[in-house]
Amino acid sequence: MIELIGVSKRFGQTTAVDDISLRMAPGELSVLVGTSGCGKSTTLRMINRLIEHSDGEIHIDGQQIRGFREETLRRRMGYAIQSTGLFPHWTVARNIGLVPRLLKWPASRIHARVESLMTMLGLPMDEFADKMPRQLSGGQAQRVGVARALAADPDILLMDEPFGALDPITRETLQHELRELQARLQKTIVFVTHDMDEALRLADRLVVMDQGRIRQQGHPLALLREPADGFVASLLGGEDRGLKEAALLTVGERMMPLGAKPLPGERISRHATLREALSMMLWRHAERLVVIDDQGMAIGELSLRRLVGARSHE
Amino acid sequence: MSEATGILRGGARRRWLAPVLWAALLLGACLGMESLQGLFRLVEPDSRRVVYARADFLVLLGRHVFVVAVASLAAVALGVGAAVAVTRRAGRDFLPLVAQLASIGQTFPPVAVLALAVPVLGFGTLPIIVALLLYGLLPIVRNTLAGLEGIDPGVREAARGMGMTGGQLLRQVELPLAAPVILAGIRTSVTINIATAAIGATVGASNLGDPIISGIVNGNTAYVLQGALLIGLLALTVDSLFARLQPTLT
Ligand SMILES: Nc1ncnc2c1ncn2[C@@H]1O[C@H](COP(=O)(O)OP(=O)(O)OP(=O)(O)O)[C@@H](O)[C@H]1O
Ligand SMILES: [Mg+2]
Repeated sequence: MIELIGVSKRFGQTTAVDDISLRMAPGELSVLVGTSGCGKSTTLRMINRLIEHSDGEIHIDGQQIRGFREETLRRRMGYAIQSTGLFPHWTVARNIGLVPRLLKWPASRIHARVESLMTMLGLPMDEFADKMPRQLSGGQAQRVGVARALAADPDILLMDEPFGALDPITRETLQHELRELQARLQKTIVFVTHDMDEALRLADRLVVMDQGRIRQQGHPLALLREPADGFVASLLGGEDRGLKEAALLTVGERMMPLGAKPLPGERISRHATLREALSMMLWRHAERLVVIDDQGMAIGELSLRRLVGARSHE
Repeated sequence: MSEATGILRGGARRRWLAPVLWAALLLGACLGMESLQGLFRLVEPDSRRVVYARADFLVLLGRHVFVVAVASLAAVALGVGAAVAVTRRAGRDFLPLVAQLASIGQTFPPVAVLALAVPVLGFGTLPIIVALLLYGLLPIVRNTLAGLEGIDPGVREAARGMGMTGGQLLRQVELPLAAPVILAGIRTSVTINIATAAIGATVGASNLGDPIISGIVNGNTAYVLQGALLIGLLALTVDSLFARLQPTLT
């Protein structure tokens, strides 16, 4: 549980963060979005005290962060950044084992932990353990960065554009992995990104910032449907908001369940998003799709009418 | 795999070759200068003696190495220490001053340092050590600063963000990453000081500069050549040692 109460940060004359209050529940993934320079990174760094806040209070599990030794506080939190900050003179395995070593875990436990993390993040031990960071691709390096942040199994993860500068496919893979990870590990994650699709896909709580202040926060769907003002609306996608919303809903939630008789037609997985379904309809010039389950069995039907949510007719 | 380690071992042996060879030549020249008498006679046909004999070359070499070693060790300790201090949060205010001193100091001739040191410290070995220390400080400070400033800020941010203490950051991350640049600074410093130490002979510090000064005073070119030859060989020996050291630290 992370709680910010009336927190501000001033650098000389400029106010980078202006009286923000935020409460991030355990197991919740919060995403901070906003235009460049609005104070997202500053907010993140105040939580692990890389930057000291000027005003207000920040609590971790009910305790003021100023009550902890800086190093103790940081070793309890994972930290991943866009540039990865991997130590170029250490191997991948040693980089990942950094925090456990700072915490003086026994070597065998560190080794086991590094191995399980590397496996989890798709970096086979025998191939990657002894590589140096400069031998990694951008996506591999960012995986190592995430593995390092997770190494000591912290309750809290702070991630500042951890998947920035990646191609869309690798990025999507990593987002998917983070979601899966989060479903299993239930960390409290604070995530900063410029990519609105990434934000919408990952967030349990979306926090929109502007000029150091919070404009609106809440579930992505709530913000999409009822943006507080024009700024939030345009940041969330302006005219594209309908498609963004469709990307958050699945075919399974909208389909019409079917009797036993399978119908001919284009087939789509129940886990696909409404956006994908719409795209398929446009592509195939179809007004109706057959929804299938994981076994490939037809379980329902999705019509264009249903997809666009013409609710009054249901 | 075994092939790779074989190549590595062969490479290591080859890298030791240069320093060992130069050192052997240096020692050989010290011990066997007499046997080159015929050669020096060609340069200096009229002089009574053509090989410097007021002191043993090995003794002069030993004193030379001693002076340079003491001055360089002190310069490394002070120079690296100062550069590290001004790149810490508490010492940041002094960074511009130290960086400026380091670049201005380089333009200061060592003879001038000596001239200033003698009235204060008297004749002998001490003033030359002080002069070499001050002069050798500069490339070390400059390179240590450059090495530390050249570290990717993301690395530093990650290190602190992961909960490394200042000392851990310095010892485990900053110094190892800056080491090649720092070492290059030390190499420059030591090599310059080997040559500069010869000036010490003018203020009564006896070393490999002796034959040179004596040769100039007595108009004996052969003496000058012998001093220069040995200093050159010493510089090459030490420089090739550094060259050997450098890649292992990256
Ligand atoms: N160390 C600092 N000293 C002075 N000003 C700073 C410092 N760090 C940040 N700022 C200022 O604070 C404001 C917020 O910066 P911050 O890095 O939090 O923005 P951001 O939202 O992360 O931007 P971006 O999306 O570009 O990363 C900016 O105006 C920035 O110039
Ligand atoms: Mg930022």
